[in-house]
Amino acid sequence: MASAEHVRALRALLDGLHHAQQLDPACWETVLRLARSTRLHGRLAAAQLGGTDLPAVVERHLCSAARIAAFNRQMLIAELHQLAPLCQGDFPVVLLKGAAYAAQNHAGANGRLVSDVDLLVPRSALRTMEQRLHDAGWRSAPLDPYDERYYRDWSHETPPLRFPGHFLEVDLHHAITPVTARLNFDPAPLIEASEALPDSVFRVLQGEDQLLHACLHCFQDGDLGLRLREVADIDSLLRHHGRADGADATNGFARRLIERATQLGLLRPLWYGLHFAARWFATPQAVTMLAQLPPGAWPAATTRLLMDRLVPLAMLPGNPDLPPPLAARLARQAMLTRYHWQRMPLRLLLPHLARKAILRTRWRGQAQA
Amino acid sequence: MSPVSYRSFDLGAARVAVHSPVPGFQQQLDFIYRDYGEEDPDAFADVRLSLLPGSGLRRWWRQQIVLWSESSQPFDPYPLAHGLPLFEWGGNWLLAQRLNAWLLLHAGVLARGEHALILPAAPGSGKSTLSCALHLAGWRFLSDEFGVIDPDSGEVLPLLKPAALKNQSIEVIRAHPQARLGPVFPGTRKGDVAHFVPDAASIAARHQRARPRLVVFPQYRAGARLRATPVPPADAALRLGLNSFNYRSLGSIGFHSVIRLARSCVACELEYSSLAEAIDYLNALLDDHGER
Repeated sequence: MASAEHVRALRALLDGLHHAQQLDPACWETVLRLARSTRLHGRLAAAQLGGTDLPAVVERHLCSAARIAAFNRQMLIAELHQLAPLCQGDFPVVLLKGAAYAAQNHAGANGRLVSDVDLLVPRSALRTMEQRLHDAGWRSAPLDPYDERYYRDWSHETPPLRFPGHFLEVDLHHAITPVTARLNFDPAPLIEASEALPDSVFRVLQGEDQLLHACLHCFQDGDLGLRLREVADIDSLLRHHGRADGADATNGFARRLIERATQLGLLRPLWYGLHFAARWFATPQAVTMLAQLPPGAWPAATTRLLMDRLVPLAMLPGNPDLPPPLAARLARQAMLTRYHWQRMPLRLLLPHLARKAILRTRWRGQAQA
Repeated sequence: MSPVSYRSFDLGAARVAVHSPVPGFQQQLDFIYRDYGEEDPDAFADVRLSLLPGSGLRRWWRQQIVLWSESSQPFDPYPLAHGLPLFEWGGNWLLAQRLNAWLLLHAGVLARGEHALILPAAPGSGKSTLSCALHLAGWRFLSDEFGVIDPDSGEVLPLLKPAALKNQSIEVIRAHPQARLGPVFPGTRKGDVAHFVPDAASIAARHQRARPRLVVFPQYRAGARLRATPVPPADAALRLGLNSFNYRSLGSIGFHSVIRLARSCVACELEYSSLAEAIDYLNALLDDHGER
């Protein structure tokens, strides 16, 4: 069971992305450690630095995190600068997630760490863009033919590309869901509705689509282990549009978002995004919108109970110095199973998992030899 | 879940707290950190980590020890008896990740009075051996691994951990009557390793900053005659940056720190084979350049 101190520190981390916290140094230490384990330390620093009553040692660690985040941002700007000449206007190149938030100067990008630049291009332009990246010097790690085919035929992105010596990877997407997934849909309307960034060759998804993408990414990807920061993204995007709407709360972003989610068949992922943003970050916009969602968006009572139990176990950090307890491991396994189930039909999934299991046994054998 | 209890050590610029149920590792800590005393385990620590026994089959067969910190296991497990080297290297790595309020040089640091000598060096250059030898010759030990530079004041802060001596250096330093070394760990990923414990006076002075005066890039070469080659400030600044753990991530702060350091110090390359000659040379060099 989590200790009272742990619960208090986790609460302070969640609140601390928006509000100054006054804590004793020991509690601060736990907050910093939870922030680092969920890679939210840069965002925590952006929100807390400059506050009053910060113990010196805490200020030092926040300063350390802020410097890492500033360097990360610099690397992101450099990568975009080098990618820009490859966008020649013959097809749209859309920035996704962290790169987009930074290029748009969202408050939530302040201190947010990125490990890759995600680009979305129309499927018809995928080969051209990939060729341009290769010609300019980006390389993918060598893959065996099976992994190559996995990316090409079943995934929604090409294998990660890296320019030798660069800090960040480039992920080239032609869709925002795996092509084999149950929620798979044509990304053309997203690209069509995308918006030009001022003074830039890149485009970004329109606000509604950006939020739906964040929800999809958060709840339909892998084992959800420590993915709290994805919910933090949803929270920041909602607040950003809430501020932009001002008093016009009912007619503005919320209405467009719900319409768009209905149109794209993404009401369920949206429900999850709003639900956990409301629960963990008390995002005012999420609380309001949940009440406006049509009944079909809500998961069945049993599913909801189960997800309310499993998602926190999987996403929230536990005691940072101990291996995750059995409950968290099981919850992550359950989320991974759900992910695979949604990602691929069984006739693809079973052979794929069997192959991975065999390979894993072989690696273990080699490691111990 | 078993209760988690930590032991916390004050290294000067940072505190490290460690939890481990492995008795052998606790005994290694008792010996190596004897003169440090122990801090309140619940008070703020810059790095907190656990060294746990391996799980599954490894609990009984070819037992291992695993380092956990902040929900991740950043290194491969070590054999169970090698807790101390895992703690030292793992602790260094974790410190280097998160002390970016300071410029962190990869260097040995010693001082005479308030004047510090910085020995930035690549592995294999003999930095640790020379650092320990200087310490045994009366210099105060500030660090074997980290030159912690405060960008605001330009001072160097002690981050005093036991020095990890490797292979032949172990016997060279052990030969000195005052040297206190921990057990030898044979066959680690860096060869044989033993830990040299700084004297109680250096440990007691671990919050006392010093002013950098000399930057010496040491290069041990068997049979070589002592040879010192001056390094111009611009080259020294560049080499200090390249030798740093976090120069790149600090951006302009790192740049200004190494420039200031290079301007306030005399820098040279020192090729040597005799430790005694190298010590005499460095004593004389600091006599000449202590006041600037």
